[in-house]
Amino acid sequence: MKKALCELGHYFEVTMHVIKMAFLTIIEYPSNIAGWLISNPLQFIVGFATIKFVVEAFGEINGWNYGQLAFLYGISVISHALSMIFFVQGWFMGYFVIEGEFDRYLTRPLGVLYQFFFTNINIFGITDLIPGILVFVYGCVKCQVHVNAWFLLQVIVMLIGATLIRGGIYILIGSTSFHTRNAVDFGQYTQEIMDKTTMYPISMYPESIQFILTFLIPIGWVSFYPVSSLLGIGNGFANGLLVPFLTLLIGILMMLLAGAYFKAGLKKYESAGN
Amino acid sequence: MKKYLYVVKTQIIKSMTYEFNVYGNILMQTIIMITSAFFWKALYAGQGNVGGVDADSMLTYIIVSSLLSVLFLTNVERRIQLSVQKGTVATDMMKPINPFGVYFAEDIGNIIALVFQNMLPILIIGCLLIKVPKMADIRDLPLFLLSVVLSFLINWLISALFGMIAFTAVNIDALIQVKKHLIRLLSGSIIPLWFFPPAVSKVLGAFPFVYIYQLPLSIYIGKGDCAEHLMQMGIQSIWLAILCGIFLFVHNRVTKKVMVQGG
Repeated sequence: MKKALCELGHYFEVTMHVIKMAFLTIIEYPSNIAGWLISNPLQFIVGFATIKFVVEAFGEINGWNYGQLAFLYGISVISHALSMIFFVQGWFMGYFVIEGEFDRYLTRPLGVLYQFFFTNINIFGITDLIPGILVFVYGCVKCQVHVNAWFLLQVIVMLIGATLIRGGIYILIGSTSFHTRNAVDFGQYTQEIMDKTTMYPISMYPESIQFILTFLIPIGWVSFYPVSSLLGIGNGFANGLLVPFLTLLIGILMMLLAGAYFKAGLKKYESAGN
Repeated sequence: MKKYLYVVKTQIIKSMTYEFNVYGNILMQTIIMITSAFFWKALYAGQGNVGGVDADSMLTYIIVSSLLSVLFLTNVERRIQLSVQKGTVATDMMKPINPFGVYFAEDIGNIIALVFQNMLPILIIGCLLIKVPKMADIRDLPLFLLSVVLSFLINWLISALFGMIAFTAVNIDALIQVKKHLIRLLSGSIIPLWFFPPAVSKVLGAFPFVYIYQLPLSIYIGKGDCAEHLMQMGIQSIWLAILCGIFLFVHNRVTKKVMVQGG
Protein backbone atom coordinates (compact mmCIF):
# COMPACT_ATOMS: atom_id res chain seq x y z
CA MET A 1 0.00 0.00 0.00
CA LYS A 2 2.75 2.37 1.02
CA LYS A 3 4.74 1.47 -2.06
CA ALA A 4 1.77 2.16 -4.29
CA LEU A 5 1.26 5.56 -2.67
CA CYS A 6 4.94 6.32 -3.07
CA GLU A 7 4.74 5.48 -6.74
CA LEU A 8 1.65 7.60 -7.17
CA GLY A 9 3.51 10.48 -5.51
CA HIS A 10 6.36 9.99 -7.92
CA TYR A 11 4.01 10.10 -10.90
CA PHE A 12 2.46 13.27 -9.51
CA GLU A 13 5.86 14.91 -9.16
CA VAL A 14 6.81 13.99 -12.71
CA THR A 15 3.49 15.30 -13.98
CA MET A 16 4.06 18.69 -12.34
CA HIS A 17 7.51 18.90 -13.85
CA VAL A 18 6.24 17.91 -17.27
CA ILE A 19 3.53 20.56 -17.18
CA LYS A 20 6.17 23.17 -16.36
CA MET A 21 8.24 22.03 -19.33
CA ALA A 22 5.18 22.10 -21.56
CA PHE A 23 4.67 25.76 -20.66
CA LEU A 24 8.30 26.50 -21.49
CA THR A 25 8.10 24.83 -24.89
CA ILE A 26 4.95 26.60 -25.98
CA ILE A 27 6.46 30.02 -25.49
CA GLU A 28 9.26 29.15 -27.89
CA TYR A 29 7.31 30.31 -30.93
CA PRO A 30 5.24 33.36 -29.93
CA SER A 31 3.53 33.64 -33.30
CA ASN A 32 2.39 30.07 -32.86
CA ILE A 33 0.68 30.85 -29.55
CA ALA A 34 -1.15 33.72 -31.19
CA GLY A 35 -2.14 31.37 -33.99
CA TRP A 36 -3.63 28.76 -31.66
CA LEU A 37 -5.35 31.45 -29.63
CA ILE A 38 -7.15 32.49 -32.80
CA SER A 39 -7.61 29.14 -34.49
CA ASN A 40 -9.08 27.04 -31.69
CA PRO A 41 -11.80 29.45 -30.55
CA LEU A 42 -12.49 30.20 -34.21
CA GLN A 43 -13.23 26.55 -34.81
CA PHE A 44 -15.99 26.61 -32.21
CA ILE A 45 -17.32 29.96 -33.27
CA VAL A 46 -17.66 28.35 -36.68
CA GLY A 47 -19.47 25.37 -35.22
CA PHE A 48 -21.75 27.40 -33.03
CA ALA A 49 -22.57 29.89 -35.78
CA THR A 50 -23.55 26.92 -37.92
CA ILE A 51 -26.03 25.74 -35.31
CA LYS A 52 -27.40 29.22 -34.73
CA PHE A 53 -27.99 29.95 -38.40
CA VAL A 54 -29.40 26.53 -39.13
CA VAL A 55 -31.78 26.64 -36.18
CA GLU A 56 -32.88 30.13 -37.17
CA ALA A 57 -33.66 28.93 -40.68
CA PHE A 58 -35.31 25.64 -39.71
CA GLY A 59 -36.72 26.12 -36.20
CA GLU A 60 -35.67 22.97 -34.39
CA ILE A 61 -33.51 19.90 -34.83
CA ASN A 62 -35.46 16.79 -33.83
CA GLY A 63 -37.27 18.55 -31.03
CA TRP A 64 -34.17 20.23 -29.63
CA ASN A 65 -34.46 23.98 -29.43
CA TYR A 66 -31.70 26.54 -29.67
CA GLY A 67 -30.87 26.75 -25.94
CA GLN A 68 -30.76 22.98 -25.54
CA LEU A 69 -28.49 22.67 -28.55
CA ALA A 70 -26.17 25.29 -27.06
CA PHE A 71 -26.03 23.26 -23.83
CA LEU A 72 -25.24 20.08 -25.77
CA TYR A 73 -22.65 21.91 -27.85
CA GLY A 74 -20.99 23.34 -24.73
CA ILE A 75 -20.64 19.92 -23.10
CA SER A 76 -19.29 18.50 -26.33
CA VAL A 77 -16.66 21.22 -26.70
CA ILE A 78 -15.56 21.09 -23.05
CA SER A 79 -15.07 17.33 -23.18
CA HIS A 80 -13.28 17.74 -26.49
CA ALA A 81 -10.95 20.32 -24.93
CA LEU A 82 -10.17 18.09 -21.96
CA SER A 83 -9.44 15.16 -24.24
CA MET A 84 -7.20 17.44 -26.32
CA ILE A 85 -5.20 18.41 -23.25
CA PHE A 86 -4.61 14.86 -22.03
CA PHE A 87 -5.05 12.49 -24.95
CA VAL A 88 -4.31 14.32 -28.20
CA GLN A 89 -1.12 12.29 -28.59
CA GLY A 90 -3.25 9.30 -29.51
CA TRP A 91 -3.80 10.96 -32.88
CA PHE A 92 -0.09 10.86 -33.62
CA MET A 93 0.66 7.40 -32.29
CA GLY A 94 1.33 6.15 -35.81
CA TYR A 95 4.27 8.50 -36.21
CA PHE A 96 5.70 7.36 -32.89
CA VAL A 97 5.49 3.76 -34.04
CA ILE A 98 7.04 4.38 -37.45
CA GLU A 99 9.82 6.61 -36.19
CA GLY A 100 10.68 4.33 -33.29
CA GLU A 101 9.91 7.02 -30.71
CA PHE A 102 8.65 4.47 -28.20
CA ASP A 103 12.24 3.35 -27.60
CA ARG A 104 12.74 6.31 -25.33
CA TYR A 105 9.70 5.51 -23.23
CA LEU A 106 10.42 1.81 -22.99
CA THR A 107 13.77 2.45 -21.34
CA ARG A 108 12.36 4.64 -18.57
CA PRO A 109 10.95 3.30 -15.31
CA LEU A 110 7.47 4.75 -15.80
CA GLY A 111 4.35 3.41 -17.53
CA VAL A 112 4.69 3.72 -21.29
CA LEU A 113 1.16 4.96 -21.84
CA TYR A 114 1.56 7.49 -19.04
CA GLN A 115 4.77 8.84 -20.55
CA PHE A 116 3.33 8.87 -24.03
CA PHE A 117 0.47 11.14 -22.99
CA PHE A 118 1.93 13.19 -20.21
CA THR A 119 5.41 14.02 -21.46
CA ASN A 120 3.65 15.66 -24.39
CA ILE A 121 0.82 17.24 -22.46
CA ASN A 122 -0.94 19.74 -24.66
CA ILE A 123 -1.43 22.93 -22.68
CA PHE A 124 -2.87 24.64 -25.77
CA GLY A 125 -6.04 22.64 -25.21
CA ILE A 126 -7.02 25.41 -22.80
CA THR A 127 -7.79 27.54 -25.84
CA ASP A 128 -10.56 25.05 -26.65
CA LEU A 129 -11.80 24.97 -23.09
CA ILE A 130 -12.63 28.67 -22.88
CA PRO A 131 -15.09 28.86 -25.80
CA GLY A 132 -16.60 25.59 -24.58
CA ILE A 133 -17.30 26.97 -21.13
CA LEU A 134 -18.72 30.18 -22.61
CA VAL A 135 -21.16 28.32 -24.86
CA PHE A 136 -22.08 25.96 -22.01
CA VAL A 137 -22.89 28.83 -19.63
CA TYR A 138 -24.86 30.52 -22.41
CA GLY A 139 -26.80 27.29 -22.92
CA CYS A 140 -27.48 27.00 -19.17
CA VAL A 141 -28.90 30.53 -19.16
CA LYS A 142 -31.02 29.91 -22.27
CA CYS A 143 -32.41 26.68 -20.82
CA GLN A 144 -32.97 28.34 -17.44
CA VAL A 145 -31.23 25.48 -15.70
CA HIS A 146 -31.60 25.36 -11.94
CA VAL A 147 -27.97 25.19 -10.79
CA ASN A 148 -27.38 23.35 -7.53
CA ALA A 149 -24.75 21.04 -6.09
CA TRP A 150 -26.41 17.92 -7.54
CA PHE A 151 -26.46 19.48 -11.02
CA LEU A 152 -22.80 20.46 -10.78
CA LEU A 153 -21.85 16.98 -9.62
CA GLN A 154 -23.69 15.46 -12.56
CA VAL A 155 -21.99 17.80 -15.01
CA ILE A 156 -18.52 17.11 -13.62
CA VAL A 157 -19.03 13.34 -13.56
CA MET A 158 -20.37 13.46 -17.09
CA LEU A 159 -17.40 15.50 -18.30
CA ILE A 160 -14.88 13.10 -16.76
CA GLY A 161 -16.68 10.17 -18.33
CA ALA A 162 -16.92 11.89 -21.70
CA THR A 163 -13.22 12.77 -21.68
CA LEU A 164 -12.31 9.17 -20.88
CA ILE A 165 -14.53 7.86 -23.68
CA ARG A 166 -12.91 10.20 -26.18
CA GLY A 167 -9.42 9.38 -24.90
CA GLY A 168 -10.17 5.67 -25.10
CA ILE A 169 -11.28 6.01 -28.71
CA TYR A 170 -8.12 7.95 -29.63
CA ILE A 171 -5.95 5.28 -28.04
CA LEU A 172 -7.85 2.47 -29.75
CA ILE A 173 -7.51 4.12 -33.16
CA GLY A 174 -3.89 5.08 -32.55
CA SER A 175 -2.94 1.58 -31.41
CA THR A 176 -3.98 0.11 -34.75
CA SER A 177 -0.69 1.57 -36.03
CA PHE A 178 1.19 -1.20 -34.21
CA HIS A 179 -0.51 -3.68 -36.52
CA THR A 180 -0.75 -1.71 -39.75
CA ARG A 181 2.76 -0.22 -39.44
CA ASN A 182 1.40 2.90 -41.02
CA ALA A 183 1.33 6.45 -39.78
CA VAL A 184 -2.18 7.49 -40.66
CA ASP A 185 -3.25 10.79 -39.22
CA PHE A 186 -6.87 10.05 -38.43
CA GLY A 187 -7.09 12.99 -36.07
CA GLN A 188 -8.88 15.28 -38.42
CA TYR A 189 -11.45 12.70 -39.44
CA THR A 190 -11.96 11.41 -35.92
CA GLN A 191 -12.67 14.92 -34.81
CA GLU A 192 -15.04 15.54 -37.69
CA ILE A 193 -17.03 12.45 -36.84
CA MET A 194 -16.97 13.22 -33.12
CA ASP A 195 -18.20 16.74 -33.88
CA LYS A 196 -21.11 15.46 -35.94
CA THR A 197 -22.12 12.90 -33.35
CA THR A 198 -21.63 14.82 -30.11
CA MET A 199 -22.61 18.36 -31.05
CA TYR A 200 -25.99 17.43 -32.50
CA PRO A 201 -28.56 15.04 -31.05
CA ILE A 202 -27.89 11.57 -32.42
CA SER A 203 -31.63 10.93 -32.50
CA MET A 204 -31.57 12.52 -35.95
CA TYR A 205 -29.74 9.49 -37.34
CA PRO A 206 -31.47 6.27 -38.35
CA GLU A 207 -31.84 3.60 -35.69
CA SER A 208 -29.02 1.45 -37.02
CA ILE A 209 -26.54 4.31 -36.60
CA GLN A 210 -27.97 5.12 -33.17
CA PHE A 211 -27.43 1.51 -32.20
CA ILE A 212 -23.78 1.66 -33.29
CA LEU A 213 -23.23 4.92 -31.43
CA THR A 214 -24.82 3.53 -28.29
CA PHE A 215 -23.42 0.03 -28.03
CA LEU A 216 -20.48 -0.44 -30.38
CA ILE A 217 -18.70 2.92 -30.43
CA PRO A 218 -20.12 4.62 -27.35
CA ILE A 219 -19.99 8.18 -28.69
CA GLY A 220 -23.63 8.69 -27.81
CA TRP A 221 -22.67 8.60 -24.15
CA VAL A 222 -20.22 11.49 -24.54
CA SER A 223 -22.93 14.10 -24.69
CA PHE A 224 -26.27 13.00 -26.11
CA TYR A 225 -27.59 10.62 -23.43
CA PRO A 226 -26.35 12.47 -20.34
CA VAL A 227 -27.41 15.89 -21.64
CA SER A 228 -30.84 14.76 -22.76
CA SER A 229 -31.45 13.15 -19.39
CA LEU A 230 -30.23 16.28 -17.58
CA LEU A 231 -32.49 18.54 -19.61
CA GLY A 232 -35.37 16.07 -19.48
CA ILE A 233 -35.64 15.55 -23.24
CA GLY A 234 -36.84 12.07 -24.10
CA ASN A 235 -34.26 10.04 -26.00
CA GLY A 236 -36.22 6.82 -25.87
CA PHE A 237 -33.46 4.85 -24.28
CA ALA A 238 -31.59 6.12 -21.24
CA ASN A 239 -33.44 8.54 -19.04
CA GLY A 240 -33.02 9.34 -15.40
CA LEU A 241 -30.72 11.16 -13.07
CA LEU A 242 -28.06 8.48 -12.97
CA VAL A 243 -27.20 8.60 -16.68
CA PRO A 244 -24.14 10.87 -16.14
CA PHE A 245 -22.73 8.20 -13.82
CA LEU A 246 -23.32 5.63 -16.51
CA THR A 247 -21.21 7.82 -18.80
CA LEU A 248 -18.40 7.72 -16.25
CA LEU A 249 -18.65 3.95 -15.99
CA ILE A 250 -18.51 3.55 -19.76
CA GLY A 251 -15.55 5.96 -19.86
CA ILE A 252 -13.62 3.84 -17.38
CA LEU A 253 -14.47 0.66 -19.30
CA MET A 254 -13.32 2.27 -22.57
CA MET A 255 -10.04 3.29 -20.97
CA LEU A 256 -9.39 -0.21 -19.62
CA LEU A 257 -10.17 -1.70 -23.01
CA ALA A 258 -7.95 0.83 -24.79
CA GLY A 259 -5.12 0.25 -22.32
CA ALA A 260 -5.29 -3.51 -22.91
CA TYR A 261 -5.30 -3.06 -26.68
CA PHE A 262 -2.36 -0.67 -26.47
CA LYS A 263 -0.40 -3.15 -24.35
CA ALA A 264 -1.11 -5.94 -26.81
CA GLY A 265 0.05 -3.68 -29.63
CA LEU A 266 3.21 -2.64 -27.81
CA LYS A 267 4.29 -6.28 -27.75
CA LYS A 268 4.39 -6.18 -31.54
CA TYR A 269 6.41 -2.97 -31.52
CA GLU A 270 9.87 -3.43 -32.99
CA SER A 271 11.23 0.09 -33.33
CA ALA A 272 12.51 1.66 -36.53
CA GLY A 273 15.17 0.14 -38.82
CA ASN A 274 18.87 -0.40 -38.14
CA MET B 1 6.98 22.47 -68.65
CA LYS B 2 8.37 18.97 -69.13
CA LYS B 3 10.19 19.23 -65.84
CA TYR B 4 6.98 20.01 -64.00
CA LEU B 5 5.14 17.18 -65.72
CA TYR B 6 7.84 14.88 -64.44
CA VAL B 7 7.18 16.11 -60.90
CA VAL B 8 3.47 15.47 -61.42
CA LYS B 9 4.23 11.94 -62.55
CA THR B 10 6.48 11.10 -59.60
CA GLN B 11 3.93 12.52 -57.19
CA ILE B 12 1.18 10.35 -58.67
CA ILE B 13 3.36 7.28 -58.17
CA LYS B 14 4.18 8.40 -54.63
CA SER B 15 0.53 8.87 -53.73
CA MET B 16 -0.36 5.47 -55.12
CA THR B 17 2.08 3.73 -52.78
CA TYR B 18 0.21 3.76 -49.52
CA GLU B 19 -2.79 1.52 -49.77
CA PHE B 20 -4.04 1.71 -46.22
CA ASN B 21 -4.22 5.50 -46.34
CA VAL B 22 -6.57 5.23 -49.27
CA TYR B 23 -9.05 2.88 -47.64
CA GLY B 24 -8.94 4.87 -44.41
CA ASN B 25 -9.64 8.10 -46.23
CA ILE B 26 -12.51 6.66 -48.24
CA LEU B 27 -14.08 5.20 -45.12
CA MET B 28 -13.81 8.43 -43.15
CA GLN B 29 -15.04 10.64 -45.96
CA THR B 30 -17.96 8.33 -46.52
CA ILE B 31 -18.91 8.55 -42.86
CA ILE B 32 -18.67 12.33 -42.96
CA MET B 33 -20.78 12.55 -46.11
CA ILE B 34 -23.46 10.23 -44.78
CA THR B 35 -23.71 11.93 -41.40
CA SER B 36 -24.16 15.29 -43.17
CA ALA B 37 -26.84 13.76 -45.34
CA PHE B 38 -28.77 12.60 -42.27
CA PHE B 39 -28.24 15.98 -40.65
CA TRP B 40 -29.97 17.71 -43.55
CA LYS B 41 -32.65 15.05 -43.78
CA ALA B 42 -33.49 15.61 -40.09
CA LEU B 43 -33.61 19.36 -40.61
CA TYR B 44 -35.82 19.13 -43.69
CA ALA B 45 -38.22 16.67 -42.06
CA GLY B 46 -41.67 18.12 -42.63
CA GLN B 47 -40.38 21.21 -44.45
CA GLY B 48 -40.52 21.49 -48.20
CA ASN B 49 -38.42 24.41 -49.19
CA VAL B 50 -36.09 26.40 -46.95
CA GLY B 51 -33.99 29.26 -48.25
CA GLY B 52 -35.11 28.51 -51.80
CA VAL B 53 -33.71 24.98 -51.82
CA ASP B 54 -35.46 21.66 -51.22
CA ALA B 55 -34.12 18.60 -49.39
CA ASP B 56 -33.26 16.78 -52.59
CA SER B 57 -31.02 19.57 -53.93
CA MET B 58 -29.40 19.83 -50.53
CA LEU B 59 -28.39 16.16 -50.64
CA THR B 60 -26.89 16.70 -54.08
CA TYR B 61 -25.07 19.69 -52.63
CA ILE B 62 -23.58 17.54 -49.86
CA ILE B 63 -22.39 14.80 -52.22
CA VAL B 64 -20.83 17.18 -54.73
CA SER B 65 -19.28 19.19 -51.91
CA SER B 66 -17.60 15.99 -50.64
CA LEU B 67 -16.32 15.31 -54.15
CA LEU B 68 -14.99 18.84 -54.56
CA SER B 69 -13.24 18.70 -51.21
CA VAL B 70 -10.94 16.09 -52.74
CA LEU B 71 -9.85 18.61 -55.36
CA PHE B 72 -9.23 21.27 -52.77
CA LEU B 73 -6.74 19.27 -50.72
CA THR B 74 -3.48 21.18 -50.83
CA ASN B 75 -0.15 20.30 -49.38
CA VAL B 76 1.71 23.44 -50.42
CA GLU B 77 1.49 25.17 -47.04
CA ARG B 78 2.94 22.17 -45.16
CA ARG B 79 5.49 21.68 -47.90
CA ILE B 80 6.74 25.26 -47.54
CA GLN B 81 6.80 24.99 -43.75
CA LEU B 82 8.81 21.78 -43.91
CA SER B 83 11.36 23.12 -46.38
CA VAL B 84 11.84 26.28 -44.30
CA GLN B 85 12.19 24.30 -41.07
CA LYS B 86 14.62 21.81 -42.54
CA GLY B 87 16.47 24.40 -44.58
CA THR B 88 15.92 22.54 -47.85
CA VAL B 89 14.28 25.66 -49.23
CA ALA B 90 17.78 26.94 -50.06
CA THR B 91 18.57 23.95 -52.26
CA ASP B 92 15.07 24.06 -53.72
CA MET B 93 15.74 27.57 -54.87
CA MET B 94 19.08 26.69 -56.41
CA LYS B 95 17.47 24.17 -58.73
CA PRO B 96 16.74 25.38 -62.26
CA ILE B 97 12.99 25.24 -61.68
CA ASN B 98 10.76 27.47 -59.61
CA PRO B 99 10.10 25.83 -56.22
CA PHE B 100 6.51 27.05 -56.21
CA GLY B 101 6.04 25.51 -59.62
CA VAL B 102 7.24 22.25 -58.11
CA TYR B 103 4.84 22.55 -55.16
CA PHE B 104 2.00 23.23 -57.59
CA ALA B 105 2.97 20.27 -59.73
CA GLU B 106 3.12 18.06 -56.63
CA ASP B 107 -0.35 19.10 -55.58
CA ILE B 108 -1.66 18.46 -59.09
CA GLY B 109 -0.08 15.01 -59.08
CA ASN B 110 -1.55 14.27 -55.69
CA ILE B 111 -5.00 15.32 -56.82
CA ILE B 112 -4.86 13.25 -60.00
CA ALA B 113 -4.13 10.21 -57.84
CA LEU B 114 -6.92 11.17 -55.42
CA VAL B 115 -9.49 11.51 -58.19
CA PHE B 116 -9.17 7.77 -58.76
CA GLN B 117 -8.48 6.77 -55.18
CA ASN B 118 -11.06 8.89 -53.39
CA MET B 119 -13.35 10.85 -55.63
CA LEU B 120 -14.69 7.96 -57.73
CA PRO B 121 -15.25 5.62 -54.76
CA ILE B 122 -17.00 8.40 -52.86
CA LEU B 123 -19.17 9.17 -55.86
CA ILE B 124 -20.15 5.53 -56.17
CA ILE B 125 -20.87 5.20 -52.45
CA GLY B 126 -22.85 8.44 -52.49
CA CYS B 127 -24.92 7.21 -55.44
CA LEU B 128 -25.65 3.90 -53.75
CA LEU B 129 -26.35 5.10 -50.22
CA ILE B 130 -27.75 8.60 -50.62
CA LYS B 131 -28.83 9.44 -54.15
CA VAL B 132 -27.47 10.00 -57.63
CA PRO B 133 -26.24 13.59 -57.63
CA LYS B 134 -27.81 14.61 -60.92
CA MET B 135 -27.06 18.05 -62.23
CA ALA B 136 -30.05 20.38 -62.27
CA ASP B 137 -29.41 21.52 -65.83
CA ILE B 138 -26.82 19.68 -67.87
CA ARG B 139 -26.31 22.75 -70.11
CA ASP B 140 -24.58 24.44 -67.18
CA LEU B 141 -21.85 21.81 -67.21
CA PRO B 142 -19.17 23.91 -69.00
CA LEU B 143 -19.90 26.79 -66.64
CA PHE B 144 -19.61 24.44 -63.65
CA LEU B 145 -16.30 22.98 -64.82
CA LEU B 146 -14.84 26.41 -65.52
CA SER B 147 -15.85 27.68 -62.09
CA VAL B 148 -14.33 24.58 -60.46
CA VAL B 149 -11.02 25.30 -62.18
CA LEU B 150 -11.11 28.91 -60.98
CA SER B 151 -12.08 27.69 -57.48
CA PHE B 152 -9.17 25.31 -57.46
CA LEU B 153 -6.73 28.08 -58.36
CA ILE B 154 -8.16 30.46 -55.75
CA ASN B 155 -7.95 27.77 -53.10
CA TRP B 156 -4.39 26.89 -54.07
CA LEU B 157 -3.25 30.51 -54.03
CA ILE B 158 -4.80 31.10 -50.60
CA SER B 159 -2.99 28.01 -49.31
CA ALA B 160 0.29 29.10 -50.89
CA LEU B 161 -0.05 32.58 -49.38
CA PHE B 162 -0.66 31.09 -45.94
CA GLY B 163 2.31 28.82 -46.53
CA MET B 164 4.58 31.75 -47.32
CA ILE B 165 4.00 33.10 -43.83
CA ALA B 166 6.31 30.25 -42.81
CA PHE B 167 9.23 32.21 -44.24
CA THR B 168 8.94 34.63 -41.35
CA ALA B 169 7.00 32.71 -38.69
CA VAL B 170 8.70 29.30 -39.27
CA ASN B 171 5.92 27.39 -37.50
CA ILE B 172 2.50 27.85 -39.08
CA ASP B 173 0.58 24.81 -37.82
CA ALA B 174 -1.93 27.06 -36.12
CA LEU B 175 -2.32 29.34 -39.10
CA ILE B 176 -3.05 26.36 -41.32
CA GLN B 177 -5.90 25.54 -38.93
CA VAL B 178 -7.14 29.12 -39.06
CA LYS B 179 -7.27 28.90 -42.83
CA LYS B 180 -9.06 25.58 -42.69
CA HIS B 181 -11.79 26.86 -40.38
CA LEU B 182 -12.22 30.07 -42.31
CA ILE B 183 -12.74 28.14 -45.50
CA ARG B 184 -15.05 25.64 -43.83
CA LEU B 185 -17.41 28.28 -42.51
CA LEU B 186 -17.14 31.00 -45.10
CA SER B 187 -17.03 28.95 -48.29
CA GLY B 188 -20.37 27.22 -47.83
CA SER B 189 -18.72 23.81 -47.91
CA ILE B 190 -20.80 22.62 -44.96
CA ILE B 191 -23.59 25.15 -44.56
CA PRO B 192 -24.51 27.15 -47.66
CA LEU B 193 -24.48 30.87 -47.04
CA TRP B 194 -28.13 31.29 -48.00
CA PHE B 195 -29.06 29.96 -44.56
CA PHE B 196 -27.08 32.79 -42.96
CA PRO B 197 -28.76 36.07 -42.07
CA PRO B 198 -28.95 38.18 -45.27
CA ALA B 199 -26.61 40.89 -43.99
CA VAL B 200 -23.92 38.33 -43.07
CA SER B 201 -24.11 36.52 -46.37
CA LYS B 202 -23.96 39.81 -48.26
CA VAL B 203 -20.73 40.77 -46.48
CA LEU B 204 -19.26 37.31 -47.06
CA GLY B 205 -20.00 37.64 -50.77
CA ALA B 206 -17.19 40.18 -50.91
CA PHE B 207 -14.63 37.64 -49.68
CA PRO B 208 -12.96 35.09 -51.93
CA PHE B 209 -14.02 32.06 -49.85
CA VAL B 210 -17.57 31.86 -51.16
CA TYR B 211 -16.23 31.38 -54.66
CA ILE B 212 -14.36 28.23 -53.67
CA TYR B 213 -17.27 25.92 -52.83
CA GLN B 214 -20.58 27.65 -52.98
CA LEU B 215 -20.44 29.11 -56.48
CA PRO B 216 -19.72 25.87 -58.35
CA LEU B 217 -22.19 24.04 -56.12
CA SER B 218 -24.93 26.61 -56.75
CA ILE B 219 -24.38 26.19 -60.48
CA TYR B 220 -24.56 22.43 -60.04
CA ILE B 221 -27.85 22.36 -58.16
CA GLY B 222 -29.28 25.18 -60.27
CA LYS B 223 -29.76 27.73 -57.52
CA GLY B 224 -30.07 31.16 -59.10
CA ASP B 225 -30.20 31.92 -62.82
CA CYS B 226 -27.52 32.05 -65.45
CA ALA B 227 -27.00 35.82 -65.29
CA GLU B 228 -26.43 35.60 -61.55
CA HIS B 229 -23.90 32.81 -62.02
CA LEU B 230 -22.02 34.73 -64.69
CA MET B 231 -21.82 37.80 -62.50
CA GLN B 232 -20.51 35.74 -59.60
CA MET B 233 -17.96 34.10 -61.86
CA GLY B 234 -16.85 37.59 -62.81
CA ILE B 235 -16.18 38.34 -59.15
CA GLN B 236 -14.47 34.95 -58.88
CA SER B 237 -12.12 35.88 -61.74
CA ILE B 238 -11.40 39.25 -60.17
CA TRP B 239 -10.48 37.52 -56.92
CA LEU B 240 -8.25 35.12 -58.80
CA ALA B 241 -6.45 38.06 -60.41
CA ILE B 242 -6.06 39.85 -57.07
CA LEU B 243 -4.69 36.72 -55.39
CA CYS B 244 -2.30 36.14 -58.30
CA GLY B 245 -1.04 39.69 -57.88
CA ILE B 246 -0.51 39.27 -54.13
CA PHE B 247 1.15 35.92 -54.72
CA LEU B 248 3.66 37.33 -57.22
CA PHE B 249 4.40 40.31 -54.98
CA VAL B 250 4.99 38.18 -51.89
CA HIS B 251 6.86 35.59 -53.93
CA ASN B 252 9.38 38.16 -55.12
CA ARG B 253 9.86 39.51 -51.64
CA VAL B 254 10.38 36.19 -49.86
CA THR B 255 12.73 34.72 -52.41
CA LYS B 256 14.99 37.74 -51.99
CA LYS B 257 15.53 37.20 -48.31
CA VAL B 258 15.26 33.61 -47.28
CA MET B 259 15.89 32.78 -43.68
CA VAL B 260 17.23 29.29 -43.28
CA GLN B 261 17.29 27.67 -39.87
CA GLY B 262 20.70 26.52 -38.81
CA GLY B 263 22.65 28.60 -41.28
